[in-house]
Amino acid sequence: MTSYLVVNILGGLLIVTSLFVVLSKTPQRTTLIYSLQSIVLVLLLVALGVTTGSRELFTWAATAFITKAVLVPAIMLFALKKIGPSAKEAVPSSISPVVAIILVAVELFVCYLAVNGIELPTALGVKPALAVSLAHFFVGLTCIITQRNILKQIFGYCLMENGSHVTLALLAPEAPGLVEIGIATDAIFAVVIMAIVAVRIHRVVKSLDADDLRELKG
Amino acid sequence: MIEILIACVQTLLLVALTPLVSGVGRFMRAKMHTRKGPPILQDYYDLAKLFKRQDIHTKDSSFVHRLMPPLFLGTMLVLALGMPMLTRLSPVPFLADVILIIYLLALPRFFFALSAIDSGSSYAGVGGIRELMVGVLVEPSMMLALFVAALSAGSTNVGVMGATIGSLSVAHPVTIIIVGFAFALACYVELGKLPYDLAEAEQELQEGPLSEYSGPSLAMVKMAMSLKQILVVSWFIAIFLPFGSAVELTVVALAIGLVVYLVKLALIFFICSVFENAVSRVRFKLLGRQTWAVFGIAVFGFVFWILGI
Repeated sequence: MTSYLVVNILGGLLIVTSLFVVLSKTPQRTTLIYSLQSIVLVLLLVALGVTTGSRELFTWAATAFITKAVLVPAIMLFALKKIGPSAKEAVPSSISPVVAIILVAVELFVCYLAVNGIELPTALGVKPALAVSLAHFFVGLTCIITQRNILKQIFGYCLMENGSHVTLALLAPEAPGLVEIGIATDAIFAVVIMAIVAVRIHRVVKSLDADDLRELKG
Repeated sequence: MIEILIACVQTLLLVALTPLVSGVGRFMRAKMHTRKGPPILQDYYDLAKLFKRQDIHTKDSSFVHRLMPPLFLGTMLVLALGMPMLTRLSPVPFLADVILIIYLLALPRFFFALSAIDSGSSYAGVGGIRELMVGVLVEPSMMLALFVAALSAGSTNVGVMGATIGSLSVAHPVTIIIVGFAFALACYVELGKLPYDLAEAEQELQEGPLSEYSGPSLAMVKMAMSLKQILVVSWFIAIFLPFGSAVELTVVALAIGLVVYLVKLALIFFICSVFENAVSRVRFKLLGRQTWAVFGIAVFGFVFWILGI
């Protein structure tokens, strides 16, 4: 049970880092915090692998480290470099940080209530972590809806993706590596495509603010 | 018996050292501004001088104006008796309940504001009302953070909470870290330092209410305000950073406890004074926004407690 505690604590750290992803002002800082979150995710996968004795999870951890902690931040930093100094300008979010904190807390609570009803044998020890992974989906959605910076919206997508990754690891630790590669690589391609689109939008509109993109409407 | 002795010794020690702590604070502040600044012992000289002066109250002031300084100082001394400083558990356990401590901090604040209005000076009155506003904004988040910590530790006694956290046997480690962070922020506002307040300056907010005080009364309030700063920091140390304090009541353990306590206190005051000198005063309108953030973090900690991590 104590080793499950480590998994749950890492789950707690995961939601704290994702809160910082939502709160951080500039895309540069968001990238660094996202990278930190991915490292926490890797640690969680390793801890889960040690606890359940599942070999696949170590492979997952390795691929997650390469794709999430290195590749995605690298792609985003490259996109930021392409955009130039104007990427450093902070685009205001549509809600205040306090509301964001309380919103995330409420989402976490609702997810806890939802997870409480699940009676799966694999989910018994890791219910808090499962609630956190489910909450990540909503935190990502919150990030996409409330942040006006299109680069931060990409990170919202990444948060949702991280959540599904952890859910899969918690509920099906014995799942073959192919499934996991499917999840990790499609995220990479999605981030590449979104980064390219963001760079092109900036080239045309000269802004990263989603509110300035109204003219795209027909 | 030995607990009573420890309580008395720590209170006397605190009273003796308080002007030194505030003096060092002023000295460091001056150094960071590249000023020469007052000598470290300046606050002792100030207090000695004030105690020799005549005690004058304004013509229209009532007993509240005379009552406030001894009440403020007395409450702080009562708090100092019960606060675990050298020891892990409180020397006087019934004085170490967090709810009691919150009320004992609120009592002088109430009289502080009341005496400011009572003094008849309109300027002091405005300062007193601002002081109350800070209390109204900070105390709810402080209480929520403390209650979540108490739920997690299973007790509202500062000493027992500190012992649970200090033995690293707490059931909700993430909750404690988040709530500890929220409580640290709330304590910082309570310290009356920049960006919220400037305890040193006569005309500023915290001492604005004191503009009609003089002589021994002013000395007592000055003393009590410095004591309050140390006590609030000790409160935080006792609950969230109890590592190194004396678990057994032996001379060696107490000596180690004293050294560790002084190191922690110095470190926290150093961090506070670096932060204090790196920021400018925040407008009072914005204070509410920041205390709401503290409240949000405490709510976040509460959800983690529900989650059980």
